Amino acid sequence: MLKSYEKEISWKAGAYAIAVHLALLGGLLISFNWKAAHPVLNVAEVELWESIPNTAPPPPPVIVPKIEPAPVVKDVPEPKPEAKVEEPKVDIALEKKKELEQKKLEEKAAKQEAEKLKKERLAAIQADTLKDEKRDSEKQLNDKKAKDELKKLQQELSAEGDQQALAAKASANAGVIDEYKRKIQDKIKGNVNNELCGDGKPVLKFKIDLLPSGELSGNPKLTKTSGLEACDDAVERAIMASQPLPLPEDVALKSQFRNLNLTFTPNN
Amino acid sequence: MSVDVANDMSIFSLVAGASLPVQLVMIILLLTSLFSWWYIFIKVATVKRAETNAEDFEKAFWTGGDLNKLYEGLSVGRRKPQGMASIFEAGFKEYARHKQQGRTEVSDIMEGTRRAMRAAYNREMDDLDAHLPFLASVGSVSPYIGLFGTVWGIMNSFRGLSNVAQATLSQVAPGIAEALIATAIGLFAAIPAVIAYNRFASSVDRLSVRYESFMEEFTNILQRKS
Repeated sequence: MLKSYEKEISWKAGAYAIAVHLALLGGLLISFNWKAAHPVLNVAEVELWESIPNTAPPPPPVIVPKIEPAPVVKDVPEPKPEAKVEEPKVDIALEKKKELEQKKLEEKAAKQEAEKLKKERLAAIQADTLKDEKRDSEKQLNDKKAKDELKKLQQELSAEGDQQALAAKASANAGVIDEYKRKIQDKIKGNVNNELCGDGKPVLKFKIDLLPSGELSGNPKLTKTSGLEACDDAVERAIMASQPLPLPEDVALKSQFRNLNLTFTPNN
Repeated sequence: MSVDVANDMSIFSLVAGASLPVQLVMIILLLTSLFSWWYIFIKVATVKRAETNAEDFEKAFWTGGDLNKLYEGLSVGRRKPQGMASIFEAGFKEYARHKQQGRTEVSDIMEGTRRAMRAAYNREMDDLDAHLPFLASVGSVSPYIGLFGTVWGIMNSFRGLSNVAQATLSQVAPGIAEALIATAIGLFAAIPAVIAYNRFASSVDRLSVRYESFMEEFTNILQRKS
């Protein structure tokens, strides 16, 4: 395969060839980013609200532990003998009898109090143990209940909020809407080429659809022509040129601007 | 929920993950690439040496020394003369033999000398042309071999896609990436081979023109001598 005179350089050539390949491999490894890092995905659930409800935090769900009180009574140790020991057995003077009786009453009350406390403590402990046993199932139940309650509350709230918001909007927002309508008309009017509308007083009506960004969705529709085609075109061009149109910051109000009927009197 | 996965797409894992035919294609292409580079370096050295030899010989020849002395110097040398020197040697040897045999017909002598030189020239050209066909085939065929591997790999990765309900790009991308490596290797083998082939072909052409003109001039000189 190789001529005799080629043999003397064959080793050198082989070394060069391998060096070239190693260089290419090195270049590949260095120049490429072989790690394919996937962008971090943030998945968020979004609920869309027509209007923002009064988001008062819902009351914490009432947890009703289901404990049977029967075993509690059984397990309570009888504290009576203990209490009896404390009773004074010595006969005492009459004057002190009343005092004693008073004391007795007090003691009894205290005893009952103590007993009650004990019972309660025991009940609590037992409830704890019971809860431990039932925790899983109960927790799930409670969670579910709480969620249901929350949902119901939110729905109620949102319904209420809607009504309130609607009522408020009707009165308070009318002014803002009018203001922005005027702003929009002014902006468009500034772009109208008046010369195309003649000397008369043409009146045009346009119907436009707006996106929340203030840009037009679709073309403006001429609903009432001025009679002058050039004037109609001039106003339409002005509408297109005025994008983005001024819109209120309030998201709820923006929806009022989705469909607008605008009246233009270019020569006024 | 945040998904942060860094796939290991290193070239080694891509090659290792490729299917068997694709791996075979890659191995074949790597070998052809190695061989073609090997031949390229051999060829660079031999062509360069042939050029310097021709240069040196022309210098020695045209300085106007005695042709007999030049011939003696060549045949005494340990190594077999190459390139132009071997053509000169063959021609002069034939000429000298004719002279020794006492032929006087100039045309006969010149014919024989020319034939001898032509034979030596052909041998030289054969040496110079060695390995060039290999480079030519590598240059023209290895892209196709690489393409074959790539097509195979892509076919495979798309077939894997048919088994899943929700097809995403990330399911085919690694397969396509590893398949494309075959094309990359094929191109890496082909591009230098084509460039080298063209360069060597033109170098050999120029050398052959040089040899041929030397033959003509030498024939003239011998004809004048006889």
